[in-house]
Amino acid sequence: MNALLAVLWKDLVSEWRSRDRLVAMGVFALLVVVVLYLAAPPGAGPEARAHVPGLLWVAYLFAGVLGLNRAFATELENEALSLLALAPVERGFIFLGKALASFALLLVVEAATAVAFALAFDLDLWPVAGRLALVAALGAAGLCSLGTLFSAIAVRTQYREVMLPLLLLPLLVPVLLGAVRATNALLLEGTLPWPALQLLLVTDGVFGIVSFLTFEVVLDE
Amino acid sequence: MTNEELSRNSSLLRSSTIGLGVCALLWAWFVWRAPIDSMQGPIQKILYVHVPCVLGAYLGFALTAASGALYLWRRDERWDRLAAACAEVGVFFCTLVLLTGPIWAKGTWGRWWTWDLRLTLTLLLYLVYVSYLLLRSFTEGSERAARFGAVYAIAGLAVVPLNYFAIDLAGGRTVHPENLGRGSLGAGMGLPLALGMLTAVMAFAYLLVRRLEVSELRAALDRAQADAARSEM
Repeated sequence: MNALLAVLWKDLVSEWRSRDRLVAMGVFALLVVVVLYLAAPPGAGPEARAHVPGLLWVAYLFAGVLGLNRAFATELENEALSLLALAPVERGFIFLGKALASFALLLVVEAATAVAFALAFDLDLWPVAGRLALVAALGAAGLCSLGTLFSAIAVRTQYREVMLPLLLLPLLVPVLLGAVRATNALLLEGTLPWPALQLLLVTDGVFGIVSFLTFEVVLDE
Repeated sequence: MTNEELSRNSSLLRSSTIGLGVCALLWAWFVWRAPIDSMQGPIQKILYVHVPCVLGAYLGFALTAASGALYLWRRDERWDRLAAACAEVGVFFCTLVLLTGPIWAKGTWGRWWTWDLRLTLTLLLYLVYVSYLLLRSFTEGSERAARFGAVYAIAGLAVVPLNYFAIDLAGGRTVHPENLGRGSLGAGMGLPLALGMLTAVMAFAYLLVRRLEVSELRAALDRAQADAARSEM
């Protein structure tokens, strides 16, 4: 447990000092929102706006992958990753610390992106802000748990920046579908469907357990 | 490998190639002779290729994850070679599934692709295992590639039931024909399909053994080169 807090604290402090990842993710998410609006501007009727909530998740996903790509890149300097692997602690807690740090950063970026998105697509998010934050957090949890595991793998392959999305995106479909369905219902009907939340909760649980257990092997050098 | 082993291997190769060839010819003959479906016409005969290939693809993917798990448990590189070979053969069969399916769909449904539950699941599984092969080829060091590959194959299989519920929830209409049950095929259609299944399993085993031989020869070459480098020092 101490290892979890130590890794989380280290990652957050180093991010606070440089703010590299946060700025890169935020600016990138903003660019994605602009590109999405220009590529697929919504019409006026409810039919024409049905795809809008899905676009929000495209921005979240791209920003998340960009941030996760950097999660272990900094650990390669001065052999820090090897030292982490040598630490006499349960490696699952190192994974949790790294995943929670990425999760915290992604939540900040998601909040800022939601504001930009609401302005660009003329949406009133305020009445559903609390429930939207819950869906965004559940989606981010699934993205960060599997993303942290694959980031630790991708960083030690050739073409590391390309490898992470190739590994991550085919497996993220349940998170994406659950989150998009919940956001769709929330923004278009003002309701939060329980089956979509259930799917997100179960997926987060499965991804968390698989990543916690297999991280041990990934760090084995 | 001694000369005796080499000659035994080449005679095994010859007899297994002949066995597979005979089975494939018999299957092709029975497919040719099978009755034309009264509703769909000749295009229905793609079933005799498509369904056996599905068996080969799923067999390959399930065995990849199982061999990967066994590798993590025993740390014996033979399990890893088996996992890599199963993934390659599985991707080959799945490619055939994804080529034959749309040809049938265009003739029957009038469109190449639909986001049906079963189609989407198969496509996602295909992408997972193509990524698995990319991961292995982009990772330096056989031990590291084996570990990373095993973790990815296990995670890939864990997602299958989640995908099933997710696509179902998203309203993926199931338009794909149901699993073939007893009596769902017309008279004279069972035998060519059964022969197709047998040929697919034989082809799977044949390709798998060939692929394993290649990786064993490659490993032997690596060992010989390492020995030669050591003796020069």
